[in-house]
Amino acid sequence: MKTHFKTWLLALVALSVLSGLPISAAQAHGEKALEPFIRMRTIQWYDVQWSTQTFKVNDEVSVSGKFHVAEDWPVSVPKPEASFLNISTPGPVLIRTERYLNGKPWTNSVALQPGGDYDFKVVMKGRLPGRYHIHPFFNLKDAGQVMGPGVWLEIGGNPGDFSNTIKTINGEMIDMESFGFANGVFWHLFWGALAAAWLLWWVRRPLFISRYRMLDAGLEHELITPQDKWIAKVVLVSVPVLVLVLNAVTANRYPDAIPLQAGLDQILPLPAQVNAGTVNVDTLKAEYNIAQRAMVLQVKVDNRSQGAVRIGEFASSNVHFLNADVANSGYNPGKDDVSNNGLSLDNASPIEPGEQRTVTIEVRDAAWESERLDGLIRDADSRLGGLLFLYDDMLGKRYISSISAAVIPKFN
Amino acid sequence: MSAQIPISTFKPYRGEKSRLARAYDYLILVLALFLFIGSFHLHFALTVGDWDFWVDWKDRQWWPLVTPLIGITFPAAVQAVLWDKFRLPLGATLCVAALLIGTWVTRVFAYHYWNYFPINMVLPATMIPGALVLDTLLMLTNSLTITSIFGGGAFALLFYPTNWPIFGMFHQPVEVANSQLTVADLFGFQYIRTGMPEYLRIIERGTLRTYGQYATPLSAFCSALLCSLMYPLWWHIGKWFASTRYLSKI
Repeated sequence: MKTHFKTWLLALVALSVLSGLPISAAQAHGEKALEPFIRMRTIQWYDVQWSTQTFKVNDEVSVSGKFHVAEDWPVSVPKPEASFLNISTPGPVLIRTERYLNGKPWTNSVALQPGGDYDFKVVMKGRLPGRYHIHPFFNLKDAGQVMGPGVWLEIGGNPGDFSNTIKTINGEMIDMESFGFANGVFWHLFWGALAAAWLLWWVRRPLFISRYRMLDAGLEHELITPQDKWIAKVVLVSVPVLVLVLNAVTANRYPDAIPLQAGLDQILPLPAQVNAGTVNVDTLKAEYNIAQRAMVLQVKVDNRSQGAVRIGEFASSNVHFLNADVANSGYNPGKDDVSNNGLSLDNASPIEPGEQRTVTIEVRDAAWESERLDGLIRDADSRLGGLLFLYDDMLGKRYISSISAAVIPKFN
Repeated sequence: MSAQIPISTFKPYRGEKSRLARAYDYLILVLALFLFIGSFHLHFALTVGDWDFWVDWKDRQWWPLVTPLIGITFPAAVQAVLWDKFRLPLGATLCVAALLIGTWVTRVFAYHYWNYFPINMVLPATMIPGALVLDTLLMLTNSLTITSIFGGGAFALLFYPTNWPIFGMFHQPVEVANSQLTVADLFGFQYIRTGMPEYLRIIERGTLRTYGQYATPLSAFCSALLCSLMYPLWWHIGKWFASTRYLSKI
């Protein structure tokens, strides 16, 4: 007994100590959990920006950017015939008020075209104060969630100040936070009161043992009285009649009610932004050196533009590998972006107009491991994908190629 | 089977025995209430799930089909016990009331306070009128067949009209993004659900298009047919659980 007491006491003390330790809440959304080949070769995000990262309840915030739907879409992932541009939040701490794809407002799901280019914008409004890690992301039907770049948002203010009023087509202004709540509670209480009355009618008299014995003794006729039967008949007739009357009253009250809307939005891609044909990049080979955490890409660049171009960035799965030699790359990392200067070339001289050159690109950084992209070599589909950015410093132009290739692991 | 007590020798409990029997009644009632709140609510959440959770899942076709079909299960099983052994016609009402208690607790604490959804977006549906009809019909007819056919049918047919006074107002049209949505759809668009993209909604899908725009009555009658089959199935499951094989003397 004494030993048991000591054990329990020790366990209690250990629990108390553990509960006093600082605990940080998990703030990720499984953005690295999805297999790398899906993250790299489905939705390829770029130029994603937030209007602000600090705002108050009721203030608007928007995220906008672009994405390319990879041509080399994994065969094991269903085509994006129903996709939903979503925002990862810990519950509706923000509400989504507007959403645009290629400048068109849309609310439902959409069919995307592999190889297509899109720009997007989502407008939101602060609802609950706090500090939240938020991503734009695509829900892809039967495939999963492909995350866009995440940021930390600080929402200040008072939650009680939040308002969300909308206007119906009939002109009625309604508060979405409370609309229909009192009515719903009323009908639940109404039917709940009837149910309670029926239950109490029976519960007030002896129940289980007494009734079991009486039934067993053949005294069934004493268990259900004529008054019980009369009440049951009234309930049996009046409840359905009441239901139908209330239904008819409601139908007359809302004659313009419509079914839930379940259409799929159709929005065509933009004219080609990526793989636009001016500067073509063909990936010849890709090797991943595990020890050095370096991807070595051999690409053939065909510059059909009017100016010399230089390779400035390789971006995949929201990780930006930058070429430090290309100063004017045009990419300004946000404070929450994952970026590094891990990109280098075997020949750093610009690729002249009309020139075709085979270039070896080394993309070396710990991000391959920390962002769990190196898992590619152990995947069932070990093809790499991403966007290669080339810059014409003289003309100030940017060319983007979506590249892909099978990856060969090098173990030493 | 338990030993039958002849009518001539039957003596009702009196005094201490009577008080103990009554205390036992209350004990069982409280336990049954919590049991049904937990088990029926879990069963309902795992099967009806999103159709009952979200206002923008409550459509004309699937919601009135699935909800009564799953909703009649526990009532049928509990009726089998309470009617067969005790002649208590309250099994369906008790189950549905317990379900609603559990549902409201979850909606308020889990959906609203924990996950910040406005409660009006997650208002539960009610099946109490159908349950009252089921209980009274069983009591008046004392027939499994009649209760299955007419009670099961009524349970399904009454579901949609019972809930229209609660949810009809959410079907008013709103103009959003150059398109027409219902207020319910707008809830789904505005109040962000990370794990619930719009395309996951199983709504308005099916082959009821060839009957004009009267999808709801067809769906409800289909549900009525299925409920009249589901009812006796779960009645027998309940009866199987209510064995008194080991009760020799009471």
